[in-house]
Amino acid sequence: MGEPVDEESGEAGPLDLTPQASRLRRRAGRPLSTVFLLAVVAAVVFVLLRTLGDASLFFYEVDEAVSARAELGTERFRVVGTPQPGLVESHLDGQAVVVFTLCVADVLADVAHLGDPAELFQPGVPVVLQGSWVSGDPPGIENLSAAADDGWYLRTDHMVVKHDNDYRGDAAELESCGVGS
Amino acid sequence: MADSTTSTGSPGSRILGLTTLLGLAGLLLFAFALTEPDVRLHPTTGEEFGQFDAVRLLYLHVPMAVLTYVAFLTCAVASAGYLLKRGAWWDVTAHASAEVGTVFCGLVLVTGSIWGKPVWNTWWEWGDVRLMTTLVLFLLFTGYLALRRTPAEPQRQARRAAVVALVAVLDIPLINRSVEWWENRTLHQQSTLAELKIEDLTLFTLMLGFVVFGLVFAWLMLHRFRVGWLEQAQADRDMALAIAERHAEMETLDVDAAIGRTGGGK
Repeated sequence: MGEPVDEESGEAGPLDLTPQASRLRRRAGRPLSTVFLLAVVAAVVFVLLRTLGDASLFFYEVDEAVSARAELGTERFRVVGTPQPGLVESHLDGQAVVVFTLCVADVLADVAHLGDPAELFQPGVPVVLQGSWVSGDPPGIENLSAAADDGWYLRTDHMVVKHDNDYRGDAAELESCGVGS
Repeated sequence: MADSTTSTGSPGSRILGLTTLLGLAGLLLFAFALTEPDVRLHPTTGEEFGQFDAVRLLYLHVPMAVLTYVAFLTCAVASAGYLLKRGAWWDVTAHASAEVGTVFCGLVLVTGSIWGKPVWNTWWEWGDVRLMTTLVLFLLFTGYLALRRTPAEPQRQARRAAVVALVAVLDIPLINRSVEWWENRTLHQQSTLAELKIEDLTLFTLMLGFVVFGLVFAWLMLHRFRVGWLEQAQADRDMALAIAERHAEMETLDVDAAIGRTGGGK
């Protein structure tokens, strides 16, 4: 076995006894794991930006949305409330809508929701809707027994159900609000 | 640390594995057959409502979420232990719990999404603060695992990973408290257990879920820890071998020539 050779100068040099990882393995391992790490960092940044951007939409309660109606104007926002008994199927601008009334803290707001309601939509089970205020009356409002009927309605196109934390079956209590509460 | 063991199994771990399998079978039986679906009669309309069969995911999703916290908190404690004591045991424990926790966290996101579709009417909701903080936790620990794969001197890599774990784990209180702190920024419900809004077989099955997933966690941790310990032992053995080879190499050389660069040792 010959004398150790300095790799840069090509001359014989002192022997480095420190064990080193294989150079081939380093070259092969670095790009993949580093790219993956960068991808994860990019994903975290994306999620944070997306969340912060979307957070402004999340979400007004009905009473807040009613009192902020002038400021909200035609801006799109999310609103949470408890649907009141009564649902009317109708049409608005050629599209199928369901019309009902939302309630929070005994403040009511009428809603015309484009498309079908969520599968678990029920009076007393809070929903989160996405849409904006529209001046006027929604179609079929005269058939609702507990409508706000204040010359405004929420025109929404996205509905999610905010279920409660009660798993006691029939012993569970429903949100009570508005008429009959 | 030299160890001639080549398997991660032991009589104890096999008993634990068998118990875990039986527990999982029992949990699935209770969750999907013996408990009732969430069906209530509406007091006003008289219609049936509730979560129906989708509620059965409660018995998987919630225990997995709790075990995710346990795994990442274990990782944080072990990381702090490593930074204080610099022992391999702490580092291997931190790495093992991070891997197990990441698996649990991924499953929490998947089962949550599957549960969300029928109950919330959406697979995913950007802006839901609990969803987002959980996703961030998953990504942070995925990054932790990627960091552990980057080539670096082992002690330095372990130190970096420990610091990342201690930062990442700060997300857990945010996730857990988000439904109280930002009630209007999440579709997630508030705590059921804290308000005791669960009873009878539903409560029993949820508790069984905690026990069974606790066993799954223990079994996975045991094996992953042993894999990590064997890897460390192998790395130590390789290192000792490399040093011995270098020393043997030195003995065959003309030492004077090697040190003074004057000879031409052959």
